[in-house]
Amino acid sequence: MKRDNNHLQHNPSSSLCGGSSAGKAKLWEEEAAQQDCGMDELLAVLGYKVKTSDMAEVAQKLEQLEEVMCIAQDDGISHLASETVHFNPSDLSTWLESMLSEFNPPSSFDPFGAAGTTAGVMGTLDDPFVGGPAESSTLTTLDIENNNRKHQKRGPHILDEASCSDYDLKAIPGKAIYSQDTQTQPQTHDSSSSSTHNNNVKSEKRLKSTSGSHSGIFSPPPPAAVSSGIPTDSVRPVVLVDSQENGIRLVHALMACAEAVQQNNLNLAEALVKQIGFLAISQAGAMRKVATYFAEALARRIYRLYTQNPLDHSLSDVLHMHFYEACPYLKFAHFTANQAILEAFEGKKRVHVIDFSMNQGMQWPALMQALALRAGGPPAFRLTGIGPPSHDNSDHLQEVGWKLAQLAEKIHVEFEYRGFVANSLADLDASMLDLRPSEVEAVAVNSVFELHKLLAWPGAIDKVFSVVKQMKPEIVTIVEQEANHNGLVFLDRFTEALHYYSTLFDSLEGSVSCQDKVMSEVYLGKQICNVVACEGADRVERHESLTQWRNRFGSAGFSPVHLGSNAFKQASMLLALFNGGEGYGVEENNGCLMLGWHNRPLITTSAWKPAIETTATSTITN
Amino acid sequence: MARSNEVNLNECKMVVPLNTWVLISNFKLAYNLLRRPDGTFNRHLAEFLDRKVPANANPVDGVFSFDVLIDRGTSLLSRIYRPATAEEPQPNVAELEKPVTAEVVPVIIFFHGGSFAHSSANSAIYDTLCRRLVGLCKAVVLSVNYRRAPENRYPCAYDDGWTALKWVNSRPWLQSQKDSKVHIYLAGDSSGGNIVHHVALRAMESGTHVLGNILLNPMFGGQERTESEQRLDGKYFVTLRDRDWYWRAYLPEGEDRDHHACNPFGPNGRSLEGIKFPKSLVVVAGLDLIQDWQLAYVEGLKKADQEVKLLYMEQATIGFYLLPNNNHFHTVMDEISKFVGSDC
Repeated sequence: MKRDNNHLQHNPSSSLCGGSSAGKAKLWEEEAAQQDCGMDELLAVLGYKVKTSDMAEVAQKLEQLEEVMCIAQDDGISHLASETVHFNPSDLSTWLESMLSEFNPPSSFDPFGAAGTTAGVMGTLDDPFVGGPAESSTLTTLDIENNNRKHQKRGPHILDEASCSDYDLKAIPGKAIYSQDTQTQPQTHDSSSSSTHNNNVKSEKRLKSTSGSHSGIFSPPPPAAVSSGIPTDSVRPVVLVDSQENGIRLVHALMACAEAVQQNNLNLAEALVKQIGFLAISQAGAMRKVATYFAEALARRIYRLYTQNPLDHSLSDVLHMHFYEACPYLKFAHFTANQAILEAFEGKKRVHVIDFSMNQGMQWPALMQALALRAGGPPAFRLTGIGPPSHDNSDHLQEVGWKLAQLAEKIHVEFEYRGFVANSLADLDASMLDLRPSEVEAVAVNSVFELHKLLAWPGAIDKVFSVVKQMKPEIVTIVEQEANHNGLVFLDRFTEALHYYSTLFDSLEGSVSCQDKVMSEVYLGKQICNVVACEGADRVERHESLTQWRNRFGSAGFSPVHLGSNAFKQASMLLALFNGGEGYGVEENNGCLMLGWHNRPLITTSAWKPAIETTATSTITN
Repeated sequence: MARSNEVNLNECKMVVPLNTWVLISNFKLAYNLLRRPDGTFNRHLAEFLDRKVPANANPVDGVFSFDVLIDRGTSLLSRIYRPATAEEPQPNVAELEKPVTAEVVPVIIFFHGGSFAHSSANSAIYDTLCRRLVGLCKAVVLSVNYRRAPENRYPCAYDDGWTALKWVNSRPWLQSQKDSKVHIYLAGDSSGGNIVHHVALRAMESGTHVLGNILLNPMFGGQERTESEQRLDGKYFVTLRDRDWYWRAYLPEGEDRDHHACNPFGPNGRSLEGIKFPKSLVVVAGLDLIQDWQLAYVEGLKKADQEVKLLYMEQATIGFYLLPNNNHFHTVMDEISKFVGSDC
């Protein structure tokens, strides 16, 4: 909505780009080129990107579509609504074009083309691997062979056809991911597996940090280095869920304390932190817990208890799993990323997923099952899981690999796995990954809540972008927190984080399981502590907004791959499993999907692909 | 249904700027996809297609916004828009609900349109409109994210409106300095205009004072087919068929369009005689096919001796107030400003 350039007239019929004469027109051209070139400003404010010069053409498409729809009547129209996958409605011209081509397929029929329809039969999920708990009864399963239809449980606000598109991933409840009879894995393994399905679990490679430990080489960067060159988002979304007297006083006290810290008035800050403790006790619900975590983090900052003891792996795994169960964020992340990966792997015979956020591998069973049910049979599926080292000698990445191998065997998917331990993603080099030619094997790179950590070390993100491009991926799926917790000013970061986590904690209040909820709060509390109490290389929770990530990916030579209405719909339906979906909402944003609570977006899934370049190298800023 | 589409589309294009035509035609097209013949609604696709914007506590063009959860039980959210002040150019988060300082501050409770089924408080078109109202009227605007049809039929939208009104009325920070009361106006377009009327009724019944009603192209109807409906059916973006669909989606099942929600001064309506109803500003677009009902509404108010001003914009179509690129827009904005300002 910024109207900085007042000299650009609000005249819809004037063309801003390609002005006829030099001089002033040239100046406008340059300025316009920097913002969206020649976009109709009035429509842009309303969320539609239409070039002024294209307006007449867009109008024509609208007319054509109206005519065609009139002739097609109800059946034709309903196909457009229920079968067609829509992408990026902001780009009106392309959206209309894709609908028009539904009615008039182009002569050279390209099933994977711009029309945006999902091609290929993905099949549906049958349930032998999905175990017992009550949650599974809320799913619609459509078994193609046996016509075995279970009824979908409908929340009050779901008003939709019972059958989902056959081509999409289905939601799977978390607990049931691993089949009930998973055995503990033998410790020894070698690459010459005797399994007829050639399931191959390579021994774990421990990655030596080639540039030494990060605390040695990468001294805490001056603040400017980390975020310079990347424009920060200036939108501050806030939702107030607690208007009670105590809530406001608590927020006041927290803000005052943060301000005191910022001004290095530590005596005042100390006094305020204690006050917050008292106020928090009298507060109820989410606000009390959030305040407590923020107060603790402030205290750590005041008393300079900067470094957090890194969590024991088994504990962090446990927290992660509880967070997975308590609320839909991780499931949404996995689900939407998998949908994009599935579509990118269309028609590929051998596929390789490189997961930067392996953890317990919860994302992969669903994808593997969907691949297993693909028409024409599953591809050979290779998974490279990357994770941080564990503090005991347990080979947790290996264990995860074994579980997945067992699943793969059950569902008859050729499976290969390799685990990589790395302190940082920046330690990776493409040569370590045994990449095969892209004609032979399609690659997907996946990162859920990991990428932002790289922003703690200068050059790290750029290194990773560069390595990812060397992988020649079909798709790069990224899920990140939708917030700017990486601003230069401590007070701003604090404020943003306070709102973000307040909203997140509020959404947890509806969790069914008390234990899940409490553990999730601890999980999030660790993040809060990091954002507020840490600095330099220790501060790894450097969340940035979609706008900022878009700029980073764009500058690094990636172009967006859009997520469509099918993913949107399925993700929305997934939400119904959580408290009837009340309060949660999915939003589409220029091809990305956001999950939010009470209209406040909290996490964003985006997908990327290396841009087609004319030159081999791209200039990377920062 | 064999209409001459070319003629209609050309006529249509001549009365609105091209980008307005594109905007409204796009809505029309999208909405056609969403309404199913069996009366159900493709909510997922609707939410996917709707262009939304987040609230923004950083002022833009002098206005900042934030969302509040008014009622947890129904997840009733509203978006509040406030003018940024010179003293507080970037409001601290703890100060979002800081008391208003002026002698008289109008508080406009806004109900977005969408024929009871479409749009939300955070739809870009309505976020933009509400922001304009702040500057125009020097007001605080509260846009209600009411529950929509067909999932939530009558009287849900009115209930939510009433809940919002009570909430606003009970906020100390919204009280004008002059009399320590909240100066409330109700405003809305299309279905929002309809909601304005019915919420005002409830307000009057319970003694809550509303200073004025602003109805922009309000959505009313009835069983009868009026002259304007027949003459303008399908000519300017809207068809009788779609109007009927939305009423069937909102009204209780089995009810017809003479239900008082749809036809407040019809056979099942109630007279407002003797009731202290707020003064009304009713804007009617001359190319809106339901104008006969809107004009009948104005008549109904007049007959009951209620204060009402009619703004009949002859060459205006639906949605003219969404873009500031036409004279109707500016005329109406001026009138709204005067209407709200006249109590200062």
